[in-house]
Amino acid sequence: MNRAQGTENGASDWSLLGRVVRKDESALAALYDRYSGLVYAESIRILRDTGAAEEILQDLFFQIWRTAEKFDPERGSLPGWLLVAARNRCISRLRRRDSRPNDELTETSVVLPCNLESTAAQNQLLGRVKKALGSLPNGQREVVELAYFEGMSHSEIAGRTGAPLGTVKTWIRTAMDALKRELT
Amino acid sequence: MSAQHPIREEDLELLALGVIDGEECRDLRAHIASCAECAGNFAAAQGRVALFAFAAPPQNPSSGARERLLEKIRAEKASIAKTPSEKLTLSAARPAIRWWNSFWIPATAILAIATVLLWINDRRMDDQLQRMREAEQMFEGEMQHQRALVSLLAAGDTKAVSLSSTQKISNDWARVHYNSRMGMVCYTGDLPAPPPHKEYEMWIVPMVGNPISAGAFMPASFNKGRACIAKMPEGVTCKSFAVTIEPMGGTSRPTGPEVLSGAEF
Repeated sequence: MNRAQGTENGASDWSLLGRVVRKDESALAALYDRYSGLVYAESIRILRDTGAAEEILQDLFFQIWRTAEKFDPERGSLPGWLLVAARNRCISRLRRRDSRPNDELTETSVVLPCNLESTAAQNQLLGRVKKALGSLPNGQREVVELAYFEGMSHSEIAGRTGAPLGTVKTWIRTAMDALKRELT
Repeated sequence: MSAQHPIREEDLELLALGVIDGEECRDLRAHIASCAECAGNFAAAQGRVALFAFAAPPQNPSSGARERLLEKIRAEKASIAKTPSEKLTLSAARPAIRWWNSFWIPATAILAIATVLLWINDRRMDDQLQRMREAEQMFEGEMQHQRALVSLLAAGDTKAVSLSSTQKISNDWARVHYNSRMGMVCYTGDLPAPPPHKEYEMWIVPMVGNPISAGAFMPASFNKGRACIAKMPEGVTCKSFAVTIEPMGGTSRPTGPEVLSGAEF
Protein backbone atom coordinates (compact mmCIF):
# COMPACT_ATOMS: atom_id res chain seq x y z
CA MET A 1 0.00 0.00 0.00
CA ASN A 2 1.39 3.37 -0.93
CA ARG A 3 -0.09 5.48 1.78
CA ALA A 4 2.01 8.12 3.44
CA GLN A 5 0.01 8.10 6.62
CA GLY A 6 2.58 9.66 8.88
CA THR A 7 3.31 7.49 11.86
CA GLU A 8 3.04 3.93 10.51
CA ASN A 9 4.72 4.93 7.28
CA GLY A 10 7.69 6.40 9.11
CA ALA A 11 8.06 3.64 11.72
CA SER A 12 10.93 1.23 11.16
CA ASP A 13 10.36 -2.51 10.79
CA TRP A 14 12.13 -2.99 14.09
CA SER A 15 9.84 -0.62 15.97
CA LEU A 16 6.74 -2.22 14.38
CA LEU A 17 8.03 -5.69 15.32
CA GLY A 18 8.49 -4.48 18.89
CA ARG A 19 4.82 -3.54 18.93
CA VAL A 20 3.85 -6.89 17.38
CA VAL A 21 5.65 -8.59 20.28
CA ARG A 22 3.33 -6.58 22.58
CA LYS A 23 0.42 -7.93 20.48
CA ASP A 24 -0.44 -4.66 18.75
CA GLU A 25 -2.41 -5.76 15.69
CA SER A 26 -2.16 -2.33 14.02
CA ALA A 27 1.63 -2.82 13.88
CA LEU A 28 1.21 -6.19 12.16
CA ALA A 29 -1.26 -4.57 9.76
CA ALA A 30 1.34 -1.89 8.97
CA LEU A 31 3.99 -4.55 8.22
CA TYR A 32 1.43 -6.39 6.09
CA ASP A 33 0.63 -3.21 4.14
CA ARG A 34 4.36 -2.63 3.66
CA TYR A 35 5.38 -6.07 2.40
CA SER A 36 2.33 -8.13 1.40
CA GLY A 37 2.50 -6.89 -2.20
CA LEU A 38 6.12 -8.05 -2.57
CA VAL A 39 5.49 -11.45 -1.03
CA TYR A 40 2.24 -11.99 -2.91
CA ALA A 41 3.72 -11.01 -6.30
CA GLU A 42 6.55 -13.50 -5.76
CA SER A 43 4.20 -16.27 -4.57
CA ILE A 44 1.69 -15.85 -7.38
CA ARG A 45 4.51 -15.83 -9.94
CA ILE A 46 5.69 -19.21 -8.60
CA LEU A 47 2.35 -20.90 -7.89
CA ARG A 48 0.04 -19.15 -10.41
CA ASP A 49 -2.79 -19.79 -7.94
CA THR A 50 -4.29 -16.83 -6.05
CA GLY A 51 -5.77 -18.97 -3.26
CA ALA A 52 -2.52 -20.81 -2.56
CA ALA A 53 -0.49 -17.59 -2.73
CA GLU A 54 -2.82 -15.85 -0.25
CA GLU A 55 -2.64 -18.87 2.05
CA ILE A 56 1.16 -18.71 2.14
CA LEU A 57 1.02 -14.94 2.68
CA GLN A 58 -1.32 -15.41 5.62
CA ASP A 59 0.76 -18.21 7.15
CA LEU A 60 3.91 -16.10 7.04
CA PHE A 61 2.35 -13.04 8.66
CA PHE A 62 0.60 -15.20 11.26
CA GLN A 63 4.01 -16.74 12.03
CA ILE A 64 5.39 -13.21 12.56
CA TRP A 65 2.43 -12.50 14.86
CA ARG A 66 3.09 -15.59 16.96
CA THR A 67 6.90 -15.53 17.08
CA ALA A 68 7.98 -11.91 16.49
CA GLU A 69 10.04 -11.98 19.69
CA LYS A 70 12.38 -14.52 18.07
CA PHE A 71 13.36 -12.18 15.26
CA ASP A 72 16.84 -10.70 15.68
CA PRO A 73 17.38 -7.63 13.46
CA GLU A 74 21.15 -8.01 13.88
CA ARG A 75 20.97 -11.24 11.90
CA GLY A 76 18.92 -10.07 8.94
CA SER A 77 16.01 -8.08 7.63
CA LEU A 78 12.31 -8.86 7.83
CA PRO A 79 11.51 -8.39 4.10
CA GLY A 80 14.51 -10.59 3.29
CA TRP A 81 13.17 -13.35 5.51
CA LEU A 82 9.67 -12.94 4.04
CA LEU A 83 10.90 -13.23 0.44
CA VAL A 84 13.12 -16.26 1.12
CA ALA A 85 10.57 -18.07 3.29
CA ALA A 86 7.75 -17.41 0.78
CA ARG A 87 9.86 -18.69 -2.10
CA ASN A 88 10.89 -21.82 -0.20
CA ARG A 89 7.29 -22.63 0.77
CA CYS A 90 5.95 -21.96 -2.73
CA ILE A 91 8.58 -24.10 -4.43
CA SER A 92 8.06 -26.83 -1.88
CA ARG A 93 4.35 -26.78 -2.68
CA LEU A 94 4.93 -26.48 -6.42
CA ARG A 95 7.20 -29.50 -6.46
CA ARG A 96 4.98 -31.40 -4.05
CA ARG A 97 7.67 -31.89 -1.47
CA ASP A 98 6.21 -33.30 1.72
CA SER A 99 8.64 -31.72 4.12
CA ARG A 100 8.05 -28.11 5.08
CA PRO A 101 11.20 -25.94 4.75
CA ASN A 102 12.85 -24.96 8.02
CA ASP A 103 12.13 -21.24 7.96
CA GLU A 104 11.63 -20.30 11.59
CA LEU A 105 12.46 -16.65 12.25
CA THR A 106 15.48 -17.78 14.26
CA GLU A 107 16.76 -20.23 11.64
CA THR A 108 16.83 -18.23 8.43
CA SER A 109 19.05 -15.15 8.20
CA VAL A 110 18.75 -12.96 5.13
CA VAL A 111 20.65 -9.68 4.82
CA LEU A 112 19.23 -7.49 2.06
CA PRO A 113 21.68 -5.08 0.41
CA CYS A 114 19.10 -2.27 0.66
CA ASN A 115 16.33 -0.92 2.86
CA LEU A 116 12.82 -1.68 1.58
CA GLU A 117 10.79 0.09 4.28
CA SER A 118 9.44 2.77 1.94
CA THR A 119 7.34 2.40 -1.19
CA ALA A 120 9.74 4.72 -2.99
CA ALA A 121 12.71 2.45 -2.23
CA GLN A 122 10.72 -0.62 -3.34
CA ASN A 123 9.75 1.10 -6.59
CA GLN A 124 13.32 2.18 -7.24
CA LEU A 125 14.63 -1.35 -6.63
CA LEU A 126 11.94 -2.77 -8.91
CA GLY A 127 13.28 -0.54 -11.69
CA ARG A 128 16.87 -1.57 -11.05
CA VAL A 129 16.16 -5.32 -11.05
CA LYS A 130 14.09 -5.00 -14.22
CA LYS A 131 16.92 -3.03 -15.82
CA ALA A 132 19.49 -5.68 -14.79
CA LEU A 133 17.38 -8.55 -16.13
CA GLY A 134 16.39 -6.53 -19.19
CA SER A 135 20.05 -6.24 -20.12
CA LEU A 136 20.24 -10.05 -20.48
CA PRO A 137 19.37 -11.89 -23.70
CA ASN A 138 16.02 -13.77 -23.56
CA GLY A 139 17.59 -17.21 -23.09
CA GLN A 140 19.68 -16.09 -20.13
CA ARG A 141 16.73 -14.36 -18.47
CA GLU A 142 14.64 -17.51 -18.89
CA VAL A 143 17.33 -19.57 -17.15
CA VAL A 144 17.33 -17.25 -14.12
CA GLU A 145 13.54 -17.36 -13.95
CA LEU A 146 13.54 -21.16 -14.08
CA ALA A 147 16.01 -21.19 -11.19
CA TYR A 148 14.34 -18.56 -9.04
CA PHE A 149 10.65 -19.07 -9.75
CA GLU A 150 10.56 -22.81 -10.42
CA GLY A 151 13.35 -23.90 -8.07
CA MET A 152 15.26 -25.83 -10.75
CA SER A 153 18.86 -26.91 -10.32
CA HIS A 154 21.59 -26.46 -12.94
CA SER A 155 21.06 -29.95 -14.34
CA GLU A 156 17.24 -29.63 -14.37
CA ILE A 157 17.50 -26.35 -16.30
CA ALA A 158 19.89 -27.94 -18.79
CA GLY A 159 17.39 -30.79 -19.24
CA ARG A 160 14.47 -28.39 -19.71
CA THR A 161 16.15 -25.91 -22.09
CA GLY A 162 18.48 -28.28 -23.93
CA ALA A 163 21.41 -25.92 -23.24
CA PRO A 164 24.73 -27.51 -22.17
CA LEU A 165 25.26 -27.63 -18.39
CA GLY A 166 28.32 -25.36 -18.59
CA THR A 167 26.36 -22.75 -20.53
CA VAL A 168 23.57 -22.79 -17.97
CA LYS A 169 26.10 -22.20 -15.18
CA THR A 170 27.70 -19.32 -17.10
CA TRP A 171 24.34 -17.67 -17.83
CA ILE A 172 23.30 -17.79 -14.19
CA ARG A 173 26.60 -16.27 -13.06
CA THR A 174 26.20 -13.56 -15.71
CA ALA A 175 22.74 -12.74 -14.39
CA MET A 176 24.00 -12.54 -10.80
CA ASP A 177 26.82 -10.24 -11.92
CA ALA A 178 24.38 -8.01 -13.82
CA LEU A 179 22.19 -7.72 -10.72
CA LYS A 180 25.15 -6.89 -8.48
CA ARG A 181 26.45 -4.30 -10.96
CA GLU A 182 23.06 -2.61 -11.01
CA LEU A 183 22.88 -2.50 -7.21
CA THR A 184 26.34 -1.09 -6.58
CA MET B 1 34.03 -33.86 -1.04
CA SER B 2 34.05 -31.23 1.70
CA ALA B 3 33.52 -27.49 1.25
CA GLN B 4 36.56 -25.23 1.43
CA HIS B 5 36.68 -22.26 3.78
CA PRO B 6 35.83 -19.54 3.13
CA ILE B 7 33.27 -20.59 0.52
CA ARG B 8 33.43 -18.36 -2.58
CA GLU B 9 30.80 -15.63 -2.77
CA GLU B 10 29.51 -16.87 -6.13
CA ASP B 11 29.08 -20.42 -4.80
CA LEU B 12 27.06 -19.06 -1.88
CA GLU B 13 24.84 -17.18 -4.33
CA LEU B 14 24.30 -20.32 -6.42
CA LEU B 15 23.45 -22.25 -3.27
CA ALA B 16 20.98 -19.53 -2.23
CA LEU B 17 19.44 -19.63 -5.69
CA GLY B 18 19.01 -23.41 -5.28
CA VAL B 19 20.77 -24.45 -8.49
CA ILE B 20 23.41 -26.54 -6.72
CA ASP B 21 22.17 -30.00 -5.82
CA GLY B 22 23.40 -33.39 -4.65
CA GLU B 23 26.58 -33.92 -2.66
CA GLU B 24 27.96 -30.45 -3.36
CA CYS B 25 24.83 -28.88 -1.87
CA ARG B 26 25.01 -31.09 1.25
CA ASP B 27 28.72 -30.27 1.77
CA LEU B 28 28.18 -26.53 1.47
CA ARG B 29 25.20 -26.58 3.84
CA ALA B 30 27.09 -28.67 6.38
CA HIS B 31 29.99 -26.22 6.33
CA ILE B 32 27.72 -23.17 6.66
CA ALA B 33 25.98 -24.79 9.64
CA SER B 34 29.31 -25.02 11.46
CA CYS B 35 31.04 -21.80 10.34
CA ALA B 36 29.84 -18.39 11.55
CA GLU B 37 31.80 -16.46 8.90
CA CYS B 38 30.38 -18.44 5.99
CA ALA B 39 26.90 -18.34 7.59
CA GLY B 40 27.11 -14.53 7.61
CA ASN B 41 28.25 -14.47 3.98
CA PHE B 42 25.43 -16.88 3.08
CA ALA B 43 22.87 -14.54 4.71
CA ALA B 44 24.15 -11.71 2.48
CA ALA B 45 24.09 -13.99 -0.60
CA GLN B 46 20.48 -14.96 0.20
CA GLY B 47 19.63 -11.25 0.36
CA ARG B 48 21.15 -10.53 -3.06
CA VAL B 49 19.39 -13.53 -4.63
CA ALA B 50 16.06 -12.59 -2.99
CA LEU B 51 16.03 -9.43 -5.10
CA PHE B 52 15.18 -11.59 -8.12
CA ALA B 53 11.68 -11.61 -6.57
CA PHE B 54 11.34 -8.11 -8.01
CA ALA B 55 11.32 -9.69 -11.48
CA ALA B 56 7.76 -10.90 -10.73
CA PRO B 57 5.02 -8.63 -12.11
CA PRO B 58 3.71 -6.41 -9.26
CA GLN B 59 0.45 -7.72 -7.80
CA ASN B 60 -1.45 -7.08 -4.59
CA PRO B 61 -3.46 -9.63 -2.59
CA SER B 62 -7.19 -9.11 -2.22
CA SER B 63 -8.43 -6.90 0.62
CA GLY B 64 -10.21 -10.01 1.94
CA ALA B 65 -6.84 -11.65 2.62
CA ARG B 66 -5.87 -8.77 4.92
CA GLU B 67 -9.19 -8.97 6.75
CA ARG B 68 -8.89 -12.74 7.21
CA LEU B 69 -5.42 -12.35 8.70
CA LEU B 70 -6.60 -9.67 11.13
CA GLU B 71 -9.61 -11.78 12.11
CA LYS B 72 -7.33 -14.73 12.74
CA ILE B 73 -5.05 -12.77 15.06
CA ARG B 74 -8.03 -11.24 16.87
CA ALA B 75 -9.41 -14.72 17.44
CA GLU B 76 -6.03 -15.85 18.78
CA LYS B 77 -5.83 -12.82 21.07
CA ALA B 78 -9.34 -13.53 22.36
CA SER B 79 -8.57 -17.18 23.07
CA ILE B 80 -5.43 -16.22 25.02
CA ALA B 81 -7.34 -13.61 27.02
CA LYS B 82 -10.09 -16.12 27.79
CA THR B 83 -7.89 -18.83 29.29
CA PRO B 84 -6.88 -17.08 32.58
CA SER B 85 -10.45 -16.03 33.39
CA GLU B 86 -11.62 -19.61 33.00
CA LYS B 87 -8.95 -20.69 35.49
CA LEU B 88 -10.07 -17.96 37.86
CA THR B 89 -13.67 -19.15 37.70
CA LEU B 90 -12.68 -22.74 38.43
CA SER B 91 -10.46 -21.86 41.36
CA ALA B 92 -13.20 -19.66 42.84
CA ALA B 93 -15.77 -22.42 42.50
CA ARG B 94 -14.00 -24.86 44.80
CA PRO B 95 -13.97 -22.65 47.93
CA ALA B 96 -17.59 -21.65 47.21
CA ILE B 97 -18.64 -25.26 47.68
CA ARG B 98 -16.83 -25.43 51.02
CA TRP B 99 -18.49 -22.19 52.17
CA TRP B 100 -21.87 -23.57 51.20
CA ASN B 101 -21.34 -26.57 53.43
CA SER B 102 -19.96 -24.65 56.41
CA PHE B 103 -21.92 -21.39 56.78
CA TRP B 104 -25.33 -19.85 56.40
CA ILE B 105 -27.01 -19.30 53.08
CA PRO B 106 -27.02 -15.46 53.45
CA ALA B 107 -23.23 -15.47 53.92
CA THR B 108 -22.83 -17.38 50.69
CA ALA B 109 -25.13 -14.93 48.92
CA ILE B 110 -23.10 -11.96 50.20
CA LEU B 111 -19.94 -13.62 49.00
CA ALA B 112 -21.49 -14.20 45.57
CA ILE B 113 -22.59 -10.56 45.35
CA ALA B 114 -19.13 -9.39 46.38
CA THR B 115 -17.60 -11.64 43.74
CA VAL B 116 -19.88 -10.19 41.06
CA LEU B 117 -19.07 -6.62 42.17
CA LEU B 118 -15.36 -7.40 42.11
CA TRP B 119 -15.72 -8.96 38.68
CA ILE B 120 -17.56 -5.87 37.37
CA ASN B 121 -14.90 -3.64 38.87
CA ASP B 122 -12.20 -5.81 37.32
CA ARG B 123 -13.85 -5.50 33.89
CA ARG B 124 -14.02 -1.72 34.26
CA MET B 125 -10.34 -1.57 35.16
CA ASP B 126 -9.49 -3.82 32.20
CA ASP B 127 -11.41 -1.51 29.87
CA GLN B 128 -9.72 1.53 31.37
CA LEU B 129 -6.30 -0.10 31.00
CA GLN B 130 -7.03 -0.98 27.38
CA ARG B 131 -8.06 2.62 26.63
CA MET B 132 -4.87 3.88 28.28
CA ARG B 133 -2.77 1.45 26.20
CA GLU B 134 -4.45 2.64 23.02
CA ALA B 135 -3.89 6.27 23.99
CA GLU B 136 -0.24 5.50 24.76
CA GLN B 137 0.23 3.88 21.35
CA MET B 138 -1.37 6.85 19.61
CA PHE B 139 0.81 9.23 21.59
CA GLU B 140 3.95 7.21 20.81
CA GLY B 141 3.09 7.22 17.10
CA GLU B 142 2.44 10.95 17.12
CA MET B 143 5.74 11.56 18.94
CA GLN B 144 7.63 9.57 16.29
CA HIS B 145 5.90 11.59 13.57
CA GLN B 146 6.78 14.90 15.24
CA ARG B 147 10.39 13.88 15.95
CA ALA B 148 10.92 12.92 12.32
CA LEU B 149 9.37 16.21 11.23
CA VAL B 150 11.53 18.29 13.58
CA SER B 151 14.76 16.52 12.58
CA LEU B 152 13.97 17.08 8.89
CA LEU B 153 13.03 20.74 9.27
CA ALA B 154 15.96 21.50 11.59
CA ALA B 155 18.62 20.02 9.29
CA GLY B 156 20.73 22.72 7.61
CA ASP B 157 20.70 20.98 4.23
CA THR B 158 16.89 20.50 4.05
CA LYS B 159 15.43 22.20 1.00
CA ALA B 160 11.93 23.61 0.49
CA VAL B 161 9.91 23.64 -2.71
CA SER B 162 6.53 25.31 -3.28
CA LEU B 163 4.02 23.57 -5.51
CA SER B 164 1.24 25.48 -7.19
CA SER B 165 -1.77 24.49 -9.23
CA THR B 166 -1.29 23.64 -12.86
CA GLN B 167 -4.62 25.41 -13.49
CA LYS B 168 -4.33 29.17 -13.09
CA ILE B 169 -7.83 29.64 -11.66
CA SER B 170 -7.17 27.36 -8.68
CA ASN B 171 -5.62 28.35 -5.33
CA ASP B 172 -4.54 24.81 -4.45
CA TRP B 173 -1.00 24.59 -3.12
CA ALA B 174 1.53 22.40 -1.38
CA ARG B 175 4.92 22.88 0.19
CA VAL B 176 7.57 20.15 0.22
CA HIS B 177 10.62 19.89 2.46
CA TYR B 178 13.16 17.26 1.52
CA ASN B 179 16.60 16.13 2.49
CA SER B 180 18.41 13.74 0.15
CA ARG B 181 21.08 12.96 2.72
CA MET B 182 18.51 11.89 5.33
CA GLY B 183 16.32 10.22 2.69
CA MET B 184 13.22 12.02 3.98
CA VAL B 185 10.49 14.15 2.47
CA CYS B 186 7.50 15.87 4.10
CA TYR B 187 4.70 17.85 2.60
CA THR B 188 1.61 19.80 3.51
CA GLY B 189 -0.80 22.05 1.69
CA ASP B 190 -4.41 22.60 0.78
CA LEU B 191 -6.31 20.50 -1.74
CA PRO B 192 -10.01 19.76 -2.28
CA ALA B 193 -11.40 16.22 -1.99
CA PRO B 194 -10.29 14.08 -4.96
CA PRO B 195 -12.86 12.43 -7.28
CA PRO B 196 -14.57 9.25 -5.93
CA HIS B 197 -12.27 6.18 -5.64
CA LYS B 198 -9.20 8.38 -6.25
CA GLU B 199 -6.32 9.63 -4.12
CA TYR B 200 -3.61 12.21 -4.58
CA GLU B 201 -0.05 10.96 -5.04
CA MET B 202 3.16 12.98 -4.48
CA TRP B 203 6.00 12.40 -6.94
CA ILE B 204 9.70 13.14 -6.66
CA VAL B 205 11.03 13.90 -10.14
CA PRO B 206 14.77 13.12 -10.04
CA MET B 207 17.35 14.70 -12.34
CA VAL B 208 17.88 11.24 -13.82
CA GLY B 209 15.31 8.47 -14.14
CA ASN B 210 11.57 8.05 -13.64
CA PRO B 211 9.43 9.83 -11.04
CA ILE B 212 9.55 8.20 -7.59
CA SER B 213 6.40 7.93 -5.49
CA ALA B 214 6.48 9.70 -2.12
CA GLY B 215 3.14 8.22 -1.11
CA ALA B 216 -0.55 8.45 -1.87
CA PHE B 217 -2.65 10.57 0.47
CA MET B 218 -6.09 12.02 1.12
CA PRO B 219 -6.58 15.70 1.97
CA ALA B 220 -7.54 14.78 5.56
CA SER B 221 -3.95 13.74 6.28
CA PHE B 222 -2.49 16.69 4.41
CA ASN B 223 -4.48 19.92 4.80
CA LYS B 224 -4.57 22.36 7.72
CA GLY B 225 -0.92 22.14 8.65
CA ARG B 226 -0.85 18.35 9.08
CA ALA B 227 2.26 17.04 7.28
CA CYS B 228 2.75 13.72 5.51
CA ILE B 229 6.20 12.19 5.96
CA ALA B 230 7.69 9.66 3.59
CA LYS B 231 11.07 8.14 2.92
CA MET B 232 12.91 8.83 -0.30
CA PRO B 233 15.96 7.10 -1.77
CA GLU B 234 19.08 8.62 -0.23
CA GLY B 235 21.33 10.71 -2.47
CA VAL B 236 18.70 11.39 -5.14
CA THR B 237 19.06 14.81 -6.80
CA CYS B 238 15.54 16.24 -7.20
CA LYS B 239 14.58 18.25 -10.23
CA SER B 240 11.00 18.97 -9.20
CA PHE B 241 7.93 17.66 -7.37
CA ALA B 242 4.41 17.02 -8.63
CA VAL B 243 1.02 15.83 -7.34
CA THR B 244 -1.26 13.72 -9.53
CA ILE B 245 -4.67 12.10 -9.07
CA GLU B 246 -4.36 8.30 -9.01
CA PRO B 247 -6.47 5.23 -8.17
CA MET B 248 -6.87 4.38 -4.45
CA GLY B 249 -3.65 2.96 -3.06
CA GLY B 250 -1.44 4.84 -5.52
CA THR B 251 0.56 3.62 -8.48
CA SER B 252 4.22 3.01 -9.25
CA ARG B 253 4.22 5.46 -12.19
CA PRO B 254 2.16 8.65 -12.62
CA THR B 255 -0.92 7.88 -14.72
CA GLY B 256 -3.48 10.55 -13.77
CA PRO B 257 -3.73 14.30 -14.31
CA GLU B 258 -1.14 16.54 -12.68
CA VAL B 259 -2.75 19.01 -10.27
CA LEU B 260 0.28 20.60 -8.59
CA SER B 261 3.90 21.05 -9.60
CA GLY B 262 6.92 22.97 -8.50
CA ALA B 263 10.68 23.08 -8.83
CA GLU B 264 13.48 24.36 -6.64
CA PHE B 265 14.94 27.70 -7.77
